[in-house]
Amino acid sequence: MATKRPVLCPNCGAQVKLNGYCSACNMPLDVIDKAYNTSDHYYNIGYDKATARDLSGAIESLNTSLRYNKKNVMTRNLLGLIYYEMGEVVMALSHWVMSVNYQQKDNIATMYLKELKADPTRLDNVDQIARKFNMALSYAHSEDYDLGALQLKSILKDNPHFVKGYLLLALLHIQMNHYENARKTLRRVLKIDKANPMAIHYLREMGDSDENIIQMRMESVENDGLFDEEYMEEISVSVDGETEIEGGSSIFREFAAKRKPIIKNEYGDMNMAKYSGLYVLLGFVLGVLVLSFIILPHQKKKNNRENAEIIKSYSEELAVKNSEIQTLNSKIQDLNEAIAMAESEDQGANPLPDYSHIEHGMSVDDIQEMIDNE
Amino acid sequence: MINFEEELKRFSPIPEVSQAEEAIYSNDLRDISDIVTQITNEIKQANTNVPTAVVGVRR
Repeated sequence: MATKRPVLCPNCGAQVKLNGYCSACNMPLDVIDKAYNTSDHYYNIGYDKATARDLSGAIESLNTSLRYNKKNVMTRNLLGLIYYEMGEVVMALSHWVMSVNYQQKDNIATMYLKELKADPTRLDNVDQIARKFNMALSYAHSEDYDLGALQLKSILKDNPHFVKGYLLLALLHIQMNHYENARKTLRRVLKIDKANPMAIHYLREMGDSDENIIQMRMESVENDGLFDEEYMEEISVSVDGETEIEGGSSIFREFAAKRKPIIKNEYGDMNMAKYSGLYVLLGFVLGVLVLSFIILPHQKKKNNRENAEIIKSYSEELAVKNSEIQTLNSKIQDLNEAIAMAESEDQGANPLPDYSHIEHGMSVDDIQEMIDNE
Repeated sequence: MINFEEELKRFSPIPEVSQAEEAIYSNDLRDISDIVTQITNEIKQANTNVPTAVVGVRR
């Protein structure tokens, strides 16, 4: 005779008594079964909505599913995926961790967590997003709408699926009466989350009809110019690397003045305009280095070579001249010798009379007598 | 018309990775089984708190 297998409580795993109550947690089995069935039903609805890209609707259904059964691993995993798609990685992480906590084996969340842990740059990026978003939110609260919008744009450029960021940016644009930019921003939201209630609410409040909203989902967001830096064009960099404003409104001046400490002291936001002074300096240093290590040595070598050639030609010329001098000297010597010889020959043949005794005023006869005496 | 202040209240700060633990605890919601457990515990407690009648001994 076959023995009946004991029924286990899905809540705690203990055996269920014959009266239908758990022996450990005293839970009525039929209630738990019903709750778990309802949870699965809402999971299915959430899944359908997620496949149709109605992410907000899917989140709502999946949260309802969790209210019936918080241990529904499939619901947790899908909810984590949707949060990840919408750029809220920490929320995704928390759902996946809970999922793994409820079921270690055969759980795809284990793989998701492993992949995230294996990419520390992604986690750093997640931190950056959170910090910048929170900073933008605080700017919005303190009515620094320009700064808030700038922070959000810098997040969204690198994380184009961050729905919450788009929604806050759209709200800031609406507050600054930049309705066209708000529309562009909300269009991007609708591309990610087709029925985002906040986006639809904002669009309706701006006067868009339902047909317009449906049309918006079809339009491309590739070159909508949402992240064109209209502010950056007006900021120039002086020689000493400090940012300066040419013209621009007072709001703009305030914006630039406030921008500096945020980047420096808060979270190291990279802004290319601020560093262009540094780039100029780096370019200058690089130029000097190239000049001193490549151009100058080459020039020096060339000069040395030319000098050596000049020295060589001069020394050759000098040698020629020296030899000429030597020949001329030898000629002079020969001629001197010849003169000396001619003189000595002349002295030997006709010695000249001594006229040293002749004095001024002597008569011809006296002179003749003197000669005769000699 | 959009009320900026009211709309802004809908936005809450995003937790950082270091605050993930808090997010996990805050996500630990109560489901039906928690509610039923709580109700049964309350009933149990109520039953144990009922004073039992003192039965007198007849001489």
